Amino acid sequence: MVGTKAKRSQTHGTVMTGADMTLQVLADEGVDTIFGYSGGAILPTYDAIFRYNKNHSGKPIKLVVPANEQGAGFMAAGYARSTGKVGVCMVTSGPGATNTATPIRDCMADSIPVVLICGQVARAVIGTDAFQEAPVFSLMSACAKHVFLVKDPTTLAATIRTAFQIALSGRPGPVVIDIPKDVQNWEGPYDSESVLQLHGYQERVNSTRNQTMPAETAREFFKLLKRARKPLLYVGGGAIISGATKELRAFMKHFQIPAVTTLMGIGAIDTSDDLCLHMLGMHGAAYANYAVDECDFLLAVGARFDDRVAGAPRLFAANAVIAHIDIDAAEIGKVKPVNWHYVGDAATALRDLLEAGKAVELNHQPWLKEVRALKKMHHFDFNRESEVIQPQAVLEMLNAMTKGEAIIATGVGQHQMFSAQYFDFKHPRNWITSGSMGTMGFGLPAAIGAQIANPGKLVIDVDGDGSIRMNIGELETCANYKVPVKVLLLNNHGDGMVVQWQSLYYEGRFSGTDKTLHSKDFVKAAEADGFKFARRVTDYKDLKPALEAFIKFKGPAFLEVVTDKHAFVYPMVGPGLPYKDMLTGPFIEGREHKHTSELLDTSDSI
Amino acid sequence: MSVKKHTISVLVANQFGVLARVSGMFSARGYNISSLCVGETEDPTVSRMTVTVHGDDNVLAQIIQQLNKLVDVIRVEDLTNRSFVERELVMIRVSADHKRRSEVLEIAEIFRGKIVDLDKNTMTVEVTGAHGKVKAFLEMMRSFGIIETVRTGEIAISRAANTAESRDDEA
Repeated sequence: MVGTKAKRSQTHGTVMTGADMTLQVLADEGVDTIFGYSGGAILPTYDAIFRYNKNHSGKPIKLVVPANEQGAGFMAAGYARSTGKVGVCMVTSGPGATNTATPIRDCMADSIPVVLICGQVARAVIGTDAFQEAPVFSLMSACAKHVFLVKDPTTLAATIRTAFQIALSGRPGPVVIDIPKDVQNWEGPYDSESVLQLHGYQERVNSTRNQTMPAETAREFFKLLKRARKPLLYVGGGAIISGATKELRAFMKHFQIPAVTTLMGIGAIDTSDDLCLHMLGMHGAAYANYAVDECDFLLAVGARFDDRVAGAPRLFAANAVIAHIDIDAAEIGKVKPVNWHYVGDAATALRDLLEAGKAVELNHQPWLKEVRALKKMHHFDFNRESEVIQPQAVLEMLNAMTKGEAIIATGVGQHQMFSAQYFDFKHPRNWITSGSMGTMGFGLPAAIGAQIANPGKLVIDVDGDGSIRMNIGELETCANYKVPVKVLLLNNHGDGMVVQWQSLYYEGRFSGTDKTLHSKDFVKAAEADGFKFARRVTDYKDLKPALEAFIKFKGPAFLEVVTDKHAFVYPMVGPGLPYKDMLTGPFIEGREHKHTSELLDTSDSI
Repeated sequence: MSVKKHTISVLVANQFGVLARVSGMFSARGYNISSLCVGETEDPTVSRMTVTVHGDDNVLAQIIQQLNKLVDVIRVEDLTNRSFVERELVMIRVSADHKRRSEVLEIAEIFRGKIVDLDKNTMTVEVTGAHGKVKAFLEMMRSFGIIETVRTGEIAISRAANTAESRDDEA
C-alpha cells in the first residue's frame, strides 16, 4: 500500500552517508541488479555499491554496465517487463541523465515500473550551468510518472522507498530520483522505515486497489452481455501488468468468449488456445480484425483503443456495445464512448464478474463457429514459393523449436510485427517489445535485462538491421557479462517498415531508408565484441540447422539471416482507416479484394 | 459539444516543481490554459491552483482525470457547474492629465475601484471583480489610452451553501 511504512530494520539509526543509505534502501527493497553507468556526480553512490558488495559478498547487488546509458534504461525495462518487479537504473548527471530520457519515456508509454537514480551537481551549484548539469527535474517531469529532486538529505531514504511504491502502484510507471552529489556525501542517521505521505495520490490508488465490484455494476454488465450474440474480449497490456492472466483465462473459458489481444497484451492468454484470435489492429490478424468488425459486444480489459488499434475510433467495433475495465480512469471514454465501465484492478474485476455471473448462461454457439471459420480462412501467410528467405519463414521455423516458451524481445519495425504475428506465447511477460513509443534499439538491451532477470530461460532478441544499429554497443555488454542472449538479426538492408510506407504512400521514394550499400558486416561486429557464435545465413537450406545450433548454444549467440527486402507486413490497416479497408496482401485470404491505390491515406494521420 | 469556460480548482502539495508538473500536463496534452493562479492555503503544506480553461465536456473530463493522475495533486474540482465566487484583480495605468482625472475617478467609483497611483499625466486604478466586470472596466478605460495593464488571473472559491441558484456573477 502506498504510504505504508517499511518495517524498522537493524540498521535504523546507524550513521552513514546518503550514498550508503541509497544502497541500504535498494537492498531492503529486494533489488538484486542495478543497470547503470558511473560518472562524476554519482561517484559516491557507485563507491557505495562497491563497498556494499564487499561487505555482503554472500548476496551482492549485481551491477551491469552498458555501453550507453540508454542501454541501461532498456535493460532495467526488460528486467521489469519480464518479472513485474521494479527495474533499477543508476546514472550520472547531465548526459548520463539525458541519455535515459528515451527509455524513461518508453517505460511511461508502456506503464513499466522502473526507478532511475541520477546523480546531480551539488545543491550549491544547481542552476549555475555547472559541469554536466542538466535540468533533470523539468526534463523528466515531462517523461516520467513522477520525479523527485532530493534537496533535504534527511528525506533521502524515505524518498527512494516512496519511489518504489509510486512505480508499482495504480497504473505503473517510471520514477526518477535526482540526488545532488553533496546529498550523497552527507552523513546522518539512517531512517529504515519512513515513506513520504502523498495525500491524494495514495488515497486514490489505495482505494482503487482495495475495492471490489459493486453487485449493481456486475448486474449491469451481465444485462448487456446476456443480450450479446457475438461477444469478444479485447485484451491489452494492462491485463498482464495487473497479473490478471489466470482470471482472464478462466473468464474466457467459462463464458466461451473469444479474445483478441493488443501488441502489449500478447501472452495474457495462451496464443495457441482455440479461443485466442491473436493480435488485432494495424498489423493484426485478419481474422482478429474481422471479428472486431463483426462483434456486438466488446469487453476491453486494460486496453486503451490507441490509434494503432482504433485508427478510426467511430468505426471501430461499430456494431458493438462497449464495456471497459481499466485501472486508469482517464482511459475510460478517452477515445471512444463506452456503455459500461469499471475503474479498478483487472484481476479483481474479472474475479468479481466471474463470481457474480456463475449462474449466467450465454448462448452464442453460432458465433464460435463463425470465429473458427474466420481463423481458418484468414490465417497469416506469406510467400512460400520464393527462393529468397522470407522473414516470416525464419520466425515460423524458430517458433516450432521454442514452442511458446521462449522470452522474445524485439526492436521496432517489420521484424517486430512479424514476431508478434508468428510467435506463440504460452505465458505472460515473455513478449518484450516497445509498444507505445516504438523505440528502435530497444530489443538488445531489453533482452539483456530480461535474461539477467530470468537466468534459466531462453531469451531471444529478434532484431532488424536498422534497430540493432541503434544500440549495437550492447553486443559487447552481452559478451562481457556472459549473458546468453540469442540475437537473431533479420537483415533486409533497410528500414523495412518505413520502406513499406514509402512504397504504399510515397510512390516508392525511399528517402533515407535504403541501406543496400551500407557496408556493415554484422557477423564480424559480433565476433569483434566477443561472440563465440556468430553466423550468417543467406540460403534456405542452411536455415534450420543454423537456428537449431543458435538456440542450443551455451552463451551469447548471434545469427544474421539475410531476408527478402520486398517482404511486407500484412495485413495492414492504413493509418486513420477502419478495418473494412484492411489490406491483406497477396498471400492472406481477404474477404474482398482491394487495390492499394483506392486506400491511399489522404489524412494527416501518422 | 459546446466549448465553454471552466474554472478548475486544484489542491496540490506545496513543494518544488509542482507548478511545472501541472502546467506541463496541460502543454503536453495540448490544452490551453486561459489563466492560472497559485497560492498557499490555510495549510502551508498545501497550495491551491485555480485554472481557467476553455473546452467541451470531453476535454474537461480528460483534464480532470489527467490531473488526478499526478502524484502531487491532492484534489481536483471543476467549479463550473457549481455555485462559486470568482475574482480577479487588475491594475491599469491610463493617460489622464488634470482635465480628465475626474472622469477616470467617476468610472473607477462605478466599478468600486481605487486609485493606487497618480502623477501629472497618468492615473493607476485597481479593480477587483469577476471576469465580466473586469472586462467591462477595461473597455471603459480604453478611451483614455491604456499605458499598462497587470492582471492576476482568476481565483475562485465555492460557496458554503452550494446550490446552483446562489451562483454569483458579479461583485
